[in-house]
Amino acid sequence: MVLVAAVRDYINRMLQDISGMKVLILDSQTVSILSVVYSQSELLQKEVFLVELVDSISKSKESMSHLKAVYFLRPTSENIQHLRQQLANSRFGEYHLFFSNMLKDTQIHILADSDENEVVQQVQEFYADFVAVDPYHFTLNIPSNHIYMLPAVVDPSGLQQFSDRVVDGLGAVFLAMKRRPVIRYQRTSDVAKRIAQETAKLMYQQESGLFDFRRTEVSPLLLIIDRRDDPVTPLLNQWTYQAMVHELIGIQDNKVDLRSIGKFPKDQEEVVLSSEQDAFFKANMYENFGDIGMNIKRMVDDFQQVAKSNQNIQTIEDMSKFIDSYPEYRKMQGNVSKHVTLVTEMSKIVEERKLMLVSETEQELACSGGQVAAFEAVTNLLNNESVSDIDHLRLVMLYALRYEKESPVQLMQLFNKLASRSPKYKPGLVQFLLKQAGVDKRTGDLYGNRDLLNIARNMARGLKGVENVYIQHQPLLLQTMESIIKGRMKDVDYPFVGNHFQQGRPQDVVIFIVGGTTYEESRTVALQNASNSGVRFILGGSVVLNSKRFLKDLEEAQRIARSSTNVV
Amino acid sequence: MATRNRTILFRKYRDALKSVRAPASSSAHLTTSKNSGGRPVIELVSTSLLQNRSYAPLSTEDPGNSSKGALTVGLPPAWVDVSEEIAANVQRARSKMTELARAHAKALMPSFGDGKEDQRMIEALTHEITDLIKKSEKKLQRLSAAGPSEDSNVRKNVQRSLATDLQNLSMELRKKQSTYLKRLRQQKEGQDGVDLEMNLNGSRSGIDDDNLDYMVFNERQMAKLKKSEAFTAEREREIQQVVESVNELAQIMKDLSVLVIDQGTIVDRIDYNIQNVATTVEEGLKQLQKAERTQKQGGMVMCATVLVIMCFIMLVLLILKEIFL
Repeated sequence: MVLVAAVRDYINRMLQDISGMKVLILDSQTVSILSVVYSQSELLQKEVFLVELVDSISKSKESMSHLKAVYFLRPTSENIQHLRQQLANSRFGEYHLFFSNMLKDTQIHILADSDENEVVQQVQEFYADFVAVDPYHFTLNIPSNHIYMLPAVVDPSGLQQFSDRVVDGLGAVFLAMKRRPVIRYQRTSDVAKRIAQETAKLMYQQESGLFDFRRTEVSPLLLIIDRRDDPVTPLLNQWTYQAMVHELIGIQDNKVDLRSIGKFPKDQEEVVLSSEQDAFFKANMYENFGDIGMNIKRMVDDFQQVAKSNQNIQTIEDMSKFIDSYPEYRKMQGNVSKHVTLVTEMSKIVEERKLMLVSETEQELACSGGQVAAFEAVTNLLNNESVSDIDHLRLVMLYALRYEKESPVQLMQLFNKLASRSPKYKPGLVQFLLKQAGVDKRTGDLYGNRDLLNIARNMARGLKGVENVYIQHQPLLLQTMESIIKGRMKDVDYPFVGNHFQQGRPQDVVIFIVGGTTYEESRTVALQNASNSGVRFILGGSVVLNSKRFLKDLEEAQRIARSSTNVV
Repeated sequence: MATRNRTILFRKYRDALKSVRAPASSSAHLTTSKNSGGRPVIELVSTSLLQNRSYAPLSTEDPGNSSKGALTVGLPPAWVDVSEEIAANVQRARSKMTELARAHAKALMPSFGDGKEDQRMIEALTHEITDLIKKSEKKLQRLSAAGPSEDSNVRKNVQRSLATDLQNLSMELRKKQSTYLKRLRQQKEGQDGVDLEMNLNGSRSGIDDDNLDYMVFNERQMAKLKKSEAFTAEREREIQQVVESVNELAQIMKDLSVLVIDQGTIVDRIDYNIQNVATTVEEGLKQLQKAERTQKQGGMVMCATVLVIMCFIMLVLLILKEIFL
């Protein structure tokens, strides 16, 4: 509940002290921040009767002095400019300004300068600067996410913006938790190092007064790692509910847009999947696809029962009972049809793209050895016409990541085959991935074949057999979390920033993945937290990835990298 | 949940800037005060007077007193009063509701009196609450507004929130009624019912024992039967009344449910609502542009152009005529 509750608390505090009718003015980022945790009807309860975007409200001239304006914005220079104009020609009775992060003195100065009519009542910083999609999972929704793959010289200002946003977000997370962490980062990643150092500078130098909270015995840990250390997880097909919806359809701020995959009635075009508001989803978001089917069947049965009991209305008593249960009934109906639609659509896609077949091979590639068999399986699937292009590409990528060094000849064969198969394939994308996230670049033991202990563990697991072939893959994050719990994190691979070292085992750990998280990892974290190991993990990333997004970022980065080398 | 209040710093800067600006800006001051709505105020007042004769003084605390000086705050539009009335009604109904709960509890308690007073009180209270809800609902309909302006959005949202309030209220009332009803029935079946049944059984068996020709009750039995009959009729009437009010509420409920947002659906998302507004605004703009285009291509414009061209040609002809002849 930590993250979601924190943001909700901020919003409550923002709105409750201001009495009367209010208009809430947001920017495009704070809209997401608010939308995932708060609902329109809750806003109405707080007497917020109008919600507007800061850049669209400046067009309107209508004076509404009976309303009080509550601004909740990120402290960016565009927002400050908008505010300046709007303060100069004030339309509302009072102005209450809240910013989601630290304001610079100059910004306050600018605002004070434009407030000639003295309409501003308060200026506050409320550190809700992250999108809390789940209780233990936040994202920053950074649009130009591909930039982390590029070296700093290619686009210095872009990278600066990227890392500034990440540092802002991380600062806000810790301010919301009222903690100051020790910071570790993945040594091999330049961008992780840079972000770690800038975060440390913010927390220990620039704003050390703000971060000076009551000391706890052990400080929490902030670990910054790079997506490229585990490129496998975003490439796999997913079979647990939330991850699967994101992989096959796409979730944006806990919203699923179904318009891209077919025609639906108006109220089903976009649906909400929030673990906060939907009990069924909360109970099933981490279940696998088969179990979901069963649970949905059960839900439909329940619903039928209710519907039947609602049908035979004979006495007045029945009537009043029906009216009593009607809102509940409607809600249930909406929920049932939502989940049924989603699952039907997904099983259609699974059928169409032969995902059962593909995913089995993918999991084999990710989890167990056997190069010859793997090569054969991948070749077979490449020959299979009904498997889609994107799945071909992913299979080759997974194969290449795994058997990069073992047999270059066979790898070349696969490249050629892929190039001949799919016309849309951009040559060199797989090579680019290897260059970005190949075995030499990785720190963690992704396939568990580097030291003896891991090999032994892998073999033991192979002997035990797996419950479900489709979800046997465990993200690298699990290993990382285990080594944090056991205190076995190597200082060489994950050095500390500055001279703030960890004493004892941390109780709160925030793991930030530069380049984006996946819902599979979010599930791993949630399950880990549920197992009560005494350490609470929070996962964050610059975006929430699915394979489509990951490949898009990769392509974009490759394009920019190539054009920049051409110029040089 | 750390926060940082920058208001003091902001004020400091503002005051500092003001003292710098003050001597030079008498003219600027004039324009700002004009800006901040001298005209709109008058407009608003006149419209509200037209629409609503009995214009009560504002009941919200005056937002103007906190921002001192330069800014005059316009009076809110007339619908704000309506919304406030409804809110007040809801508040009143709430307090009545607690009274009702107390009365219910009292009526259900066994007592020596016949409980008529309690009944009457309950009736009166229920009636009052239902009335309040009905009245508010009627007023609510008046709030709705047409036109794609921001103000109408606000109105729609106000309407929604009040509708939610009303719905909750009526739901609560109905729940109270139905539990009361159930308890009443239970009591009836529980004590009187069993008594009566037993008596009847007893008497019937007595009758069976007697010869059928002597099918007459003895006097005591008759009196008892009559009394309980009267009693049941009374209860029956009460139950009927409660049922009626339940049904009335159900109707209101149906009307309200159109307005209330279903929680947990896409309609309840903040970003969805913003997008929606944006798309409607865009749609409006598109329509406007289309209208402009059609107007440009319209017959009048065509006619005018043709005439102008004709004039020009005629002029040329005239000149030519002048020159050559």
